[in-house]
Amino acid sequence: MLIKPEEISDIIRKKIDGYDSKMKIDEVGHVIESGDGVVKIFGLKNCMANELIDFGNGIYGMAMNLEEESVGCVLFGGEKEVKEGTIAKRTGKPVSIGVSDEIIGRVVNPLGEVLDGKEPYKVDKYRDVEFLAPSVMIRKSVDTPLQTGILAIDSMIPIGRGQRELIIGDRQTGKTAIAIDTIINQKGQDVICIYVAIGQKSSSVAGVVNTLKKHGAMDYTIVVSSTASDSAPIQFLAPYAGSAIAEYFMYEQGKDVLIVYDDLSKHAQSYRAMSLLLRRSPGREAYPGDVFYLHSRLLERAAKLDDEHGGGSITALPIIETLAGDVSAYVPTNVISITDGQIYLESELFFGGQRPAVNAGLSVSRVGGAAQIKAMKKLSGRIRIDLAQYRELASFAQFGSDLDKSTQDKLIQGERILELIKQPQYQTIPVERQVVMLYAAVNGYLSDIENSKVKEFNKGLIEYVQEKHQNLLNEIKTKKDLTKEIEEEIKESINEYKRIFSL
Amino acid sequence: MNEGKISQITGAVLDVKFGSDKLPNLYNAIEIPFNDGKIVAEVMQHLGNDTVRCVAMSSTDGLQRGMKAIDTGAPISAPVGEEVLGRVFNILGEAIDEKGEVKSAEKWPIHREAPKFVDQKPVAEMFETGIKVIDLLAPYAKGGKIGLFGGAGVGKTVLIQELISSIANEHGGYSVFTGVGERSREGNDLINEMAESGVINKTALVFGQMNEPPGARMRVALTGLTMAEYFRDVKHQDVLFFVDNIFRFIQAGSEVSTLLGRIPSAVGYQPTLTTDVGALQERITSTKNGSITSIQAVYVPADDYTDPAPATTFAHLDAVTALSRSIAELGIYPAVDPLESNSRIMDPAIVGEEHYYVARKVQEILQKYKELQDIIAILGMDELSDEDKKIVYRARKIQKFLSQPFFVGEQFTGIPGKYVPVSETIRGFKEIIEGNMDNYPEDAFFMVGTIDEVIEKAKTME
Repeated sequence: MLIKPEEISDIIRKKIDGYDSKMKIDEVGHVIESGDGVVKIFGLKNCMANELIDFGNGIYGMAMNLEEESVGCVLFGGEKEVKEGTIAKRTGKPVSIGVSDEIIGRVVNPLGEVLDGKEPYKVDKYRDVEFLAPSVMIRKSVDTPLQTGILAIDSMIPIGRGQRELIIGDRQTGKTAIAIDTIINQKGQDVICIYVAIGQKSSSVAGVVNTLKKHGAMDYTIVVSSTASDSAPIQFLAPYAGSAIAEYFMYEQGKDVLIVYDDLSKHAQSYRAMSLLLRRSPGREAYPGDVFYLHSRLLERAAKLDDEHGGGSITALPIIETLAGDVSAYVPTNVISITDGQIYLESELFFGGQRPAVNAGLSVSRVGGAAQIKAMKKLSGRIRIDLAQYRELASFAQFGSDLDKSTQDKLIQGERILELIKQPQYQTIPVERQVVMLYAAVNGYLSDIENSKVKEFNKGLIEYVQEKHQNLLNEIKTKKDLTKEIEEEIKESINEYKRIFSL
Repeated sequence: MNEGKISQITGAVLDVKFGSDKLPNLYNAIEIPFNDGKIVAEVMQHLGNDTVRCVAMSSTDGLQRGMKAIDTGAPISAPVGEEVLGRVFNILGEAIDEKGEVKSAEKWPIHREAPKFVDQKPVAEMFETGIKVIDLLAPYAKGGKIGLFGGAGVGKTVLIQELISSIANEHGGYSVFTGVGERSREGNDLINEMAESGVINKTALVFGQMNEPPGARMRVALTGLTMAEYFRDVKHQDVLFFVDNIFRFIQAGSEVSTLLGRIPSAVGYQPTLTTDVGALQERITSTKNGSITSIQAVYVPADDYTDPAPATTFAHLDAVTALSRSIAELGIYPAVDPLESNSRIMDPAIVGEEHYYVARKVQEILQKYKELQDIIAILGMDELSDEDKKIVYRARKIQKFLSQPFFVGEQFTGIPGKYVPVSETIRGFKEIIEGNMDNYPEDAFFMVGTIDEVIEKAKTME
């Protein structure tokens, strides 16, 4: 019998090929089902939970369910191109984002791809998008203020570095405006800011970037954008990616970071879409059972680290949009129970001209008080009480009962304070000026000034102080306390200016 | 060593296949060596085909199918005894305070039977907290179970911390604090505060906070409870057991329930909700050997008291302190709802005739005021009869007098905390309802301790 060497080598080659494909099933798989951005893959035996999966052509996905014979995976875009038979490869790493100092000032998507039309940034290292929050033992109490520059907030609902403060309200009540003002006010404070847009209109995100540029805030800000047209998994990923960038600066450089999540209602909705498509069963309001953990593990990553771990911090300002002012809906109460307080904005106040439309009664800060400068702390306790009494009396006094003098005084005092805390957007106020303005209001210097002139008076007062008592503002800034001398000088300057003003 | 292999991973739930006839028991701890450490999971179900379904106690990110999993042959166990005092633990009973390993002689499995019927001891004695509204209207019982109910941000944690600072300090015995699914920051603050006041030396702390996966939050209450049970059963102590927040235990159970393949029940909760709560709550009880006085914060999701989780918990409690958003909005703290809170020992035979009379009278006046509020809103105060006006003014004073400055709240209010003995509380409210305080201004009643302070404050206001 003649043996043809070609035939033998052919057989061997086939055997080797077969062997190879058996090996490959561990590392490679092929799509057997695809639809709605969720795919089922056969193969990928060695796939890890939460691993990034490569579908070629720049399309990626994340392994969510590792089942006995298959892998359930969500796609980050490219739903139309991934079809039955598409090859899926392991990347060997969990979903992660590239970071370096160069990312500052850039607009990126949650996978680290740049969106601002410029060159990709240099990547120093990759950080996992899902990362366990710091434990109880490596944290430190919040002790440094994060000044928002908004009088109503810095005085009554103070925010400290490492705190999570929720901004909550109906649509069009100025939620994003507060976050943007806070970012703008961080100029020169050595704070890195991250703005995470979740399921927003592209044009809104572009608007935010423009505003930040205009105020010179893009020099220290990163924008992580997932727009309404992105797939649900991309929107789901955005806040975690933002958090991973923040952690790079907190853990590795000991820096203070401010991160804004705009907004977590849409985040919950995108996760609901994903979960339902993965056939996990729905609970209250059709959200999956772990929607609490979705936000708790994200927001717990904002923390103040102790000195042994670099002392850095992440301050988080998550935003939640309510419907018809209903704060007791499922997702809002979940997030309220996670954060360290909330800034509650009301549309009645907004349209009534009280802007920022902060409802001082419902808004709280559970830790910020510890982080206020002493001067502010001394004044802010009074303003809260004055306003609380005003609110209570205002509703009680509505019915024309005869009002005694003390009640009238309280009503006037409340009105003046409400007028004082009106503040236009993009006009943040440094803390030392806030102290002077508050001092005047709390100590009744405004009571004989008409409500309509309060704004004018405050403006004039600050200008006067800058001109005639230049040292005073510096003193407050450095001493941070209302010492006897400072208090005397404030009193003096207010009295002097009042004389000029009444002329 | 009994070894199996992971066959499936969905979120926090793992399937592990073992050799035939080598299935681990239900509730056994399974260890998966991973990245120099280990991941511990607990067996929840036998699926057939030599496969068990487990819930992982830490994140499963990065795990692969085919990894080996070792049956430890026993449930998760917690160290018990006096060595645990002053230390901080995680769900697995490992010390996380970086002070080295705990050298306790004994370790108890965290799954245990509830005490038997014959060992039960009914509660019949009041327990002073120094907080006016609680002592007066919903007094706590020694060895009883107390629930602090409230929605998000109405002050449950502040109240529980105030109770820790006042009663754990006074109590003198051992305490166990368990943080279940709450903020890590609060855990850190609590440790610092306890260390400052020295109370930590008589307290064991166990944390499974909201940054941890559902498995840990679902079981951490058991770890803390096991430590408390040891003090009760072996050391015959009267133990204080604080849980913040027991709702998170139920919530964590519902997070893994569907992943375990159970069909969801009402509002998406686990079908085993009532038995889960029962199995835990029946263990927190006082026996002839010793007592556990437990104070449990209960989160009310979406402010909805009919939600299955708080509704199920109600039945297990001896006293309920309900915190209400509408009272918090008035700026009255603690925001305890005087008409919704109640206690099983609110009985003249236990608290005494006078206490009972004053408490009921106070509630009566507040109830009447509540009814009159609608009339006032429509017609105004002037339309009320003189008698009704008197009730309104007294009710408003009572409302204000129910507020109280807290020791732990000093940094927010700037007012030092006040501890008011129950006899003073009763005397104070009696003065108001009997009309002896009608001439004092309302504001004098706000944020003070005893009735004498009202008189003091009124003097300064003039």
